[in-house]
Amino acid sequence: MIIATVEPWVEAPLRRFVDDARARLALLLHPSGQVVAQAGFTREVDVMTACALAAASHATSGELGKRVEGHAFRSLHYAGPDRQLFLSPIETARGAYICLTVFSAESSLGLVRMYFEELCHDLAAAAPPLPVVRQPAIAADFELDLNRNLAALFGRAPAAT
Amino acid sequence: MTPFRPMLESLTRQRGVRASLIVSENDGLVVDSSLRFDQDGDRVAALAASMYRKARLSAQAAQLGAVAFLQLDAERGRVCAVGGRSDLVIVVVADPAANVGLIRVELFKALESLE
Repeated sequence: MIIATVEPWVEAPLRRFVDDARARLALLLHPSGQVVAQAGFTREVDVMTACALAAASHATSGELGKRVEGHAFRSLHYAGPDRQLFLSPIETARGAYICLTVFSAESSLGLVRMYFEELCHDLAAAAPPLPVVRQPAIAADFELDLNRNLAALFGRAPAAT
Repeated sequence: MTPFRPMLESLTRQRGVRASLIVSENDGLVVDSSLRFDQDGDRVAALAASMYRKARLSAQAAQLGAVAFLQLDAERGRVCAVGGRSDLVIVVVADPAANVGLIRVELFKALESLE
């Protein structure tokens, strides 16, 4: 499976996760919706759409959790007839990320959750310290960052450091 | 407490048994478990369910019929599993020296009560 990353330290842990969990698609993104890494996507527009929807879904379920339980729901699982998705946040020294995993009957929720825990540990261990404080995403920067990351993922420009 | 608990505790009471679990084969999630210390139920459930499903599909592909009893012997332990008509699989993790014959009998008894 082809894996593309904007931040190189993400690649090895994500590749291991995708292989072990037998995921069909995986997407690592900032909570703002900016892509960090993708596995299995072939089209730029799919990545962009999946990032936007995953970030929105994570924000929505988080808020819903706060209303229902007093704290944000951590993970979201949806089982479709053929494919399932698992959406969960990851904390690292470089900040929080969201991981969207799509899997089929070749895998299972139990396996994905198990290997996802390992991915969390691997990413936390691999994450270099944050060089600069990340500013909140604003409309002016967002599109610029998004386009730069997509260009890096699909081989049109060097990855950001 | 689920209705499976007495059955699981009876399995875990067998000599050399470290854990017994009821697992969903499709999801790989624990339905109920009786674990001795130092056992990660979620991990065992995910891996055992995956192993059982692969064995069942392999037996089906080879036209061998349904899987009756699955046993994995490893250096530091063994995993035994039985499944019936439902999605549920009963899994036992035991020491290498545990009496597999006895575990097998108890697993089939447990499966009968499950169905």
